[in-house]
Amino acid sequence: MSVKYIPVQWNRNKWLYDAVMLAGVALFLYIFLHVTPDVLGHAQPINPQVHNARAFGACAFVMLTVILCIGPLARLDERFLPLLYNRRHFGVMTVFVAITHASYIVDWYFAFSMSNKYEALLFANTSFGQLSGFPFEVFGIFSLVVLIILAATSHDFWMKFLSPPVWKRIHYLIYPAYLSVVAHVSLGILQDQQHSAFTLLFIGGAASVGVLHLLAALKERKREHAVAAVATEGWVDVAERDAFEDGFAKIRLLPNGERVAIYLQDGLFSAISNACAHQNGPLGEGKVIDCLVTCPWHGFQYDVRNGRSPAPFTEMVPTYNLRMAGNMVQVDPVANPPGTPVPPLPATQQEAMT
Amino acid sequence: MNEAEAIFLAVRIWGYIGAGVALLFLTVGIDRVDEDARGAYIFRPLLIPGILVIWPLVLWRWYRYETGPENWSKRYDPPRKAHFAVGLILPIALAVIIAVGWAQRQTWPADIAPVQLSQPAEVNQ
Amino acid sequence: MSDKHPPFFVGYLPVPAGLRGWLLVACALFVAGLAALGMAMGTSQDDPGPGAFRFDYGRQTVTGVIELTPYPLVRVTKGNDRILPGTTLMLSGQGKSNVDARAIPLEGQLAQVSGIVLQRGTLNMLQLRGGRNGISGVEGAAPAQETKALGRWQLAGEICDGKCLAGAMRPGTGIAHKACANLCLIGGVPPVFVSTQPVDGSEFLLVTGPDGEELPKTLYDYVGNFVSIEGEVERRGDLLVFRADPETAGKVE
Repeated sequence: MSVKYIPVQWNRNKWLYDAVMLAGVALFLYIFLHVTPDVLGHAQPINPQVHNARAFGACAFVMLTVILCIGPLARLDERFLPLLYNRRHFGVMTVFVAITHASYIVDWYFAFSMSNKYEALLFANTSFGQLSGFPFEVFGIFSLVVLIILAATSHDFWMKFLSPPVWKRIHYLIYPAYLSVVAHVSLGILQDQQHSAFTLLFIGGAASVGVLHLLAALKERKREHAVAAVATEGWVDVAERDAFEDGFAKIRLLPNGERVAIYLQDGLFSAISNACAHQNGPLGEGKVIDCLVTCPWHGFQYDVRNGRSPAPFTEMVPTYNLRMAGNMVQVDPVANPPGTPVPPLPATQQEAMT
Repeated sequence: MNEAEAIFLAVRIWGYIGAGVALLFLTVGIDRVDEDARGAYIFRPLLIPGILVIWPLVLWRWYRYETGPENWSKRYDPPRKAHFAVGLILPIALAVIIAVGWAQRQTWPADIAPVQLSQPAEVNQ
Repeated sequence: MSDKHPPFFVGYLPVPAGLRGWLLVACALFVAGLAALGMAMGTSQDDPGPGAFRFDYGRQTVTGVIELTPYPLVRVTKGNDRILPGTTLMLSGQGKSNVDARAIPLEGQLAQVSGIVLQRGTLNMLQLRGGRNGISGVEGAAPAQETKALGRWQLAGEICDGKCLAGAMRPGTGIAHKACANLCLIGGVPPVFVSTQPVDGSEFLLVTGPDGEELPKTLYDYVGNFVSIEGEVERRGDLLVFRADPETAGKVE
């Protein structure tokens, strides 16, 4: 038996997440669209179509910036993990906001001519040989296409069908897309903008994304050194038995590049792959809840003794064999196929007797 | 046909093929490659946009599923090292892009006055 | 729970007590932050300038002599309260289209034109109604119209499309608007040069090629940029015409 796909697996936290996200986006748009024209008080107002396009464009940039900050924040501090939980809904919403921005632009700047407006978008400005006056629209088009690909492949089916590593690689396109958005703004509105507030907010947003990713990467590298196993032939040292905490794991980066999560549960050691079957989340950073290892990203659970999700779920992860060498827990770097039961290794002689 | 028309023709053809693949995959293929999809129909329309945009990848994966079990270890090999590359490249690229844009900003040359280079050769009419 | 491990969040379980306060603060900050950003970004938009469709004038109908620069102009001979005789109107069709097909046969003749005025400072454009309602020849001899050469000038400023600049779009200038301006120019809408300082009393000049042809395609790359460019200037009524020489065009540093 398996669990059949449904369009969205709603739960209370997802409702709350979406409500807060939509409230922020709605407030941003409402204020930009309906409050700021009166505040600006220009003798001749900005065209509503341009004003709308800017509101949705600015909103999409802010949303994308926030989304890209969540990942590194969660790697820097686990308390941000709840923001990661339903991030895909945030992303899908961003696509709709970005499409609205593009529609206002195409229906205003590129309409009213004898040509097809979408073709006009491509041929109206062909000054590709210069930076000032470069057709910055192409950067926006690229980003929008990428966002559409990412949103269209966000259902869990795609993760399983493409396999998490392939899916993850596709979704790394978010980085070129963000760079492209920044180029779109830098060679577009930033060229004309005289008021400094927008410029500062734009640069501040992009800088946050850049700095947070750098900090997270530095932390990740430090952690990688800490978990890297000493290169050996055969069994690999994990840690002394006393270093473990019941219900939690130690992670080891094996010489072959795989990560293994070694859990102590009720006085017994078991080892499974660190990569969750769902999205390759770090199982070793999770904890045991109700006798099941629980992934910190989306809460997928596994029986640590066989790497299998409890019925009716069918997810499986590889398992590893363990042995004790004196006080040292050692792991065999050759993984067992996903779902292979491995007898747990007693932590003490006493455990072994019982 | 100009380049813009050619690009849109290509996009349309891509979409038409994608629609064909979507029809085939969602009626025949998906049941063969994923047991969780068997008997689940309501979620399938959600997959159509994805198939439209990445149908070659869909065909490739489908082919792989049909031609024998994949190497399972590949499913548990996340590209974690890329985090570090991203952490280095992203801030640098962002800074470069914004700096380039900033350097291109123009200042209205209000102080440049019109200069008459020569008098009219002759007065017309 | 030890201090080593922060509260563990599982999406489908109730939020742990230790995380609730923190998440409430995060949510409040997020919503308030987005509201503040909407305000800050929305209010940092620049003034788009004074151009506008003068719908408040209502439909205007005047008579004048059709001239081709090659962009068609009307030298108004019989005006009204709004559009005085001596005014020169640039012409455009609906949207990003020209009126060449209707105006060229009437070159040098007296014609009645009718439509909506676009106005920015001294710049006037008439967006014609469709067909013969917009432009049609009228009986009578066309009075001679003076064209006064003002010599060769070097000007600094920006090449725009005359329609967006005059008020069809606000903002209707600049880099972000460049593709739109190009599309207007491709459609045959008259281009206008905005000079940094007035030339013979006018900061807006209809701009053509050096030999009185349509704006050369090479100048499209300069649209929206601040450029310095040389060419002959001539006065046709209250409108200046600038025959820009693309060889002399260069961006102002």
